[in-house]
Amino acid sequence: MAVRPILLYPDPILKTPAAPVGPGDSAITPIIQDMLDTLRASPGVALAATQIGCSVQIIAVDVSRKKGETGHGLVVLLNPRIRHQEQARIIREGCLSVPDYTGNVLRYERVVVEGLSPDGTPLTLTVSGFEALAFQHEVDHLDGLLFLDRIQSLDTDLFRRKSI
Amino acid sequence: MNHFAIVTAFGQDRPGIVAALAEGLFQLGCNIEDTSSVQLRGEFTMMLLVRLPKGMAADQLADRLPPHISSLDLTVLCREVPAQAATRTAASDTPTYMLSVYGADHPGIVAKVARAVSDHHGNITVMNTRVIGSAVKPVYVMVLEIKLMDGASPEPLKQALDRLKPDLGVDLTFRKIESANL
Repeated sequence: MAVRPILLYPDPILKTPAAPVGPGDSAITPIIQDMLDTLRASPGVALAATQIGCSVQIIAVDVSRKKGETGHGLVVLLNPRIRHQEQARIIREGCLSVPDYTGNVLRYERVVVEGLSPDGTPLTLTVSGFEALAFQHEVDHLDGLLFLDRIQSLDTDLFRRKSI
Repeated sequence: MNHFAIVTAFGQDRPGIVAALAEGLFQLGCNIEDTSSVQLRGEFTMMLLVRLPKGMAADQLADRLPPHISSLDLTVLCREVPAQAATRTAASDTPTYMLSVYGADHPGIVAKVARAVSDHHGNITVMNTRVIGSAVKPVYVMVLEIKLMDGASPEPLKQALDRLKPDLGVDLTFRKIESANL
């Protein structure tokens, strides 16, 4: 229904943990719609509700927006949690809410994400590669974490691999 | 209009260098903006882009800063930076590559590799080198972050680098850095 501006740090909402939502709550329908509209109008592949100013636990991920990626297509999850993660890797990450900066962060190649679909159905997804990064990044947003909170090394990690 | 300077400082590493330098700059009314600092073996080296207070020129900062840090025995240099350069941000859409070069240490590796990069429109934006291995068999490791300018294709550079391998006796990999923009 509306493309909303994507909040930029230092907006305090980005650093505030979001509240869980109930699938029956009618207030979430317009939020999800605005998230999808905003995502489509953005250069990104995923969005957390907090990034459009709603401090509720909803994420939308659609890695098929990036050339060469398919993943699970568009996924909207309520109250998502990362349940399992394996194969640590360092990846350079950027964020729509922190423009013009990237950092090397520790993420996992494969993760299991649990949550609810908008109609309340429990969902468990095993995701890998770029899609796994997207879910980890968006779940972080709901916890009030930015990639800046996870920077692992300042430049190349070649000389610092002992820390992994 | 804002005036900017780059301050470089280095000296034998010990705790308190950053604190003393930052306090000195703060007391003189300078605002530290972008910085990069690193240990080169036992030396701590710093480069700071600072915004100068109104009415202070870079050479005045060079005169006034040393008394604030006299206990540290640092070498300090200040130079004015044109505001145009100081306020420019890097284009984030330029493709970024990482080049790792490593092999038995001998003079000339950096020069030959950097020339090849430059000749193929590569702009080195970050460079790290280190001598590792044992004293009898030192190994040189160089990691470069390169941005390819003007829409240049990576292939000619890759081929030029491959041709350097036997000449220099090094191994190397040249790869695109994918950053996950989320």
